[in-house]
Amino acid sequence: MLKATEKNAGSFFLFATLFFLVGAVLTTVVPAAIERTWRKPTEGMRPYTATEARGRAIYVREGCWYCHTQQIRTLEADVKRYGWRGVDAPISTPSEFTRDAPHMFGTKRTGPDLARVGGKYDKSWHRTHFKNPRDLVPGSVMPPFPWILTGNNGQDFEDLVAYIQTLGRTIPWRPNNDYER
Amino acid sequence: MSTGFGRARREEPSATLFLLSSVVFFAITTLVGLLVATKFVWPEFMGTVPQLTFGRLRPLHVNGVLFGWLLAADMGLCLYLVPRLCGNRLWSEKLGVATAVLFDLIILGAVYTTTAGKTQGMEYAELPLALDVGVVVAWIMFGVNVFGTVATRRHEKMYASVWYIMGAVIWTAFVYLTGNFATEFFTGTNQANLNWFYVHNAVGLIFTPLGIGIAYYLIPKAVQSPLYSHKLSMIGFWTISFIYVWTGAHHMIHGPISQWLQTVSILFSVCLIIPVWTVIVNFYGTVSGKWDRVRQDPILKFLMAGTTFYLLTCFQGPMHSLRTVNAIVSKTDWIVGHAHMAVLGAFSFFAIAGCLIAVPALAGRPLHSVRLANRSFWLIFTGGIVFFAGLWIGGFMQGLQWNRASIPFIDTVVFMKPFWMVRLLSGALVYFGIFLVFYNLIRTLTGASAAERDRAVAA
Repeated sequence: MLKATEKNAGSFFLFATLFFLVGAVLTTVVPAAIERTWRKPTEGMRPYTATEARGRAIYVREGCWYCHTQQIRTLEADVKRYGWRGVDAPISTPSEFTRDAPHMFGTKRTGPDLARVGGKYDKSWHRTHFKNPRDLVPGSVMPPFPWILTGNNGQDFEDLVAYIQTLGRTIPWRPNNDYER
Repeated sequence: MSTGFGRARREEPSATLFLLSSVVFFAITTLVGLLVATKFVWPEFMGTVPQLTFGRLRPLHVNGVLFGWLLAADMGLCLYLVPRLCGNRLWSEKLGVATAVLFDLIILGAVYTTTAGKTQGMEYAELPLALDVGVVVAWIMFGVNVFGTVATRRHEKMYASVWYIMGAVIWTAFVYLTGNFATEFFTGTNQANLNWFYVHNAVGLIFTPLGIGIAYYLIPKAVQSPLYSHKLSMIGFWTISFIYVWTGAHHMIHGPISQWLQTVSILFSVCLIIPVWTVIVNFYGTVSGKWDRVRQDPILKFLMAGTTFYLLTCFQGPMHSLRTVNAIVSKTDWIVGHAHMAVLGAFSFFAIAGCLIAVPALAGRPLHSVRLANRSFWLIFTGGIVFFAGLWIGGFMQGLQWNRASIPFIDTVVFMKPFWMVRLLSGALVYFGIFLVFYNLIRTLTGASAAERDRAVAA
């Protein structure tokens, strides 16, 4: 059958496309169609506010996601490491991310995961940290971001912090320690 | 007196333009990589200018190397070798030149958008929509030229390289559209699934078939032997066309994506060993008994080292997908070492070998310096091995440390610093070698063509 493709570019085209499409359809179209949790938001999750959405755009623009993932994986290590004051971090589920485009799952952890960072550090901590991360975390290799602090008369910083504070808080996973609530 | 470039531009302008621009971008975008590596050692380095910060230069390096260098070089080499394998001329040089010009404009646009922070925020898909449309148009123009040349061929039977190149043309269309357009309509996990489908298949169904197709042409030519096995090349081609596409979700093992999809991606990742090993056996088999030639010939050095890196990187890949291994190496610097072995070690080595054969052939004069080419090989090869291995060792230990939640995260960062220093120093060696390749090729083009020189000597 495939012998013909050596001499006939038309049948080659047909088979090369079909072979590819089997896996392509089953791994992209089918999951999108059958996996309801991938598009069903967590109960009670609201859309981003204007300031959070602007903050998220800054997060995307500055490429924060090249060094910080946003996913608590199904690993003991992630659950323990990204918990807070003795409370384990809940595993990330697709429902928590349905309002996210572009997705910020990330792929590399040069810095820690941020999926549950919301509410852990207050605004003054973030201000000092963006100014020079090494002032708060000696040994850090994160670049300083002075232009975020001053951008738009300081509004950029307010927006970005507003976004960071949303991360991981659609689930009430530590109600007694959530200082901003 | 006409230069080699003058002759090349006259005879085969499309391939010449693509190859010339690709080596220029090779020298530039790998330098950006070196700057990015410097930032790991010295975090404030160039860090006060927004355009030069890590989050902007990292996508410039990645997109620049992938598209500005590697894809452009592969396209140029396809336009060079498809007519030679089909026994005719390129279907349309005018179309080819227009493709090269359009493609270069896109890359220049990408230099601006990535440094300006205008990004779609997804791996390999950072370029804004307008540039994505340009890439699609350029790819259609390229595809028309490739298929036009194949349709008007004089040799009835198509050689393995031609299948791989045609396959890449078809698959790239689907893969690129999925990763850059279909993703627009989804959010969250749905979008991530399409994103990783694209990222993985950009390597697996764009750079792999183009690189392998080119090597299928170059290795028998460089060693002056027939291909070891035609049948194996056929098995390899049809298995890769079926298997590769299933594996995108292995980038999200243990992540917020369905377990069944993770398992499917793992099964097919392991199956990838079949098409990879058919290629490896075929390439090693072709040079079998003629390894002494590798000692003299820099082109064969790049080809056989590239083949070996391809074997190693494609053994690592399936192993990373296994859940237990993934729990250690995923998201660490190990993966950075792995990715560099694939793109720099395997596919860039094939493309460099291609340039070292095609540029002198186009220019009508021998390579400027074979000795220099040998030296640049040893620089890139030695630097590369230290670079990769350093990140593997550091990244693996970093992964083990992450798995002990009692170790503070910042300690695992500080632990990596010596390895990042090793990466910077070995990366500098790699860059020096790359620059010598660039210099060698430019000198080959700017020198007088052999015929002109003979005439000058006679006069």
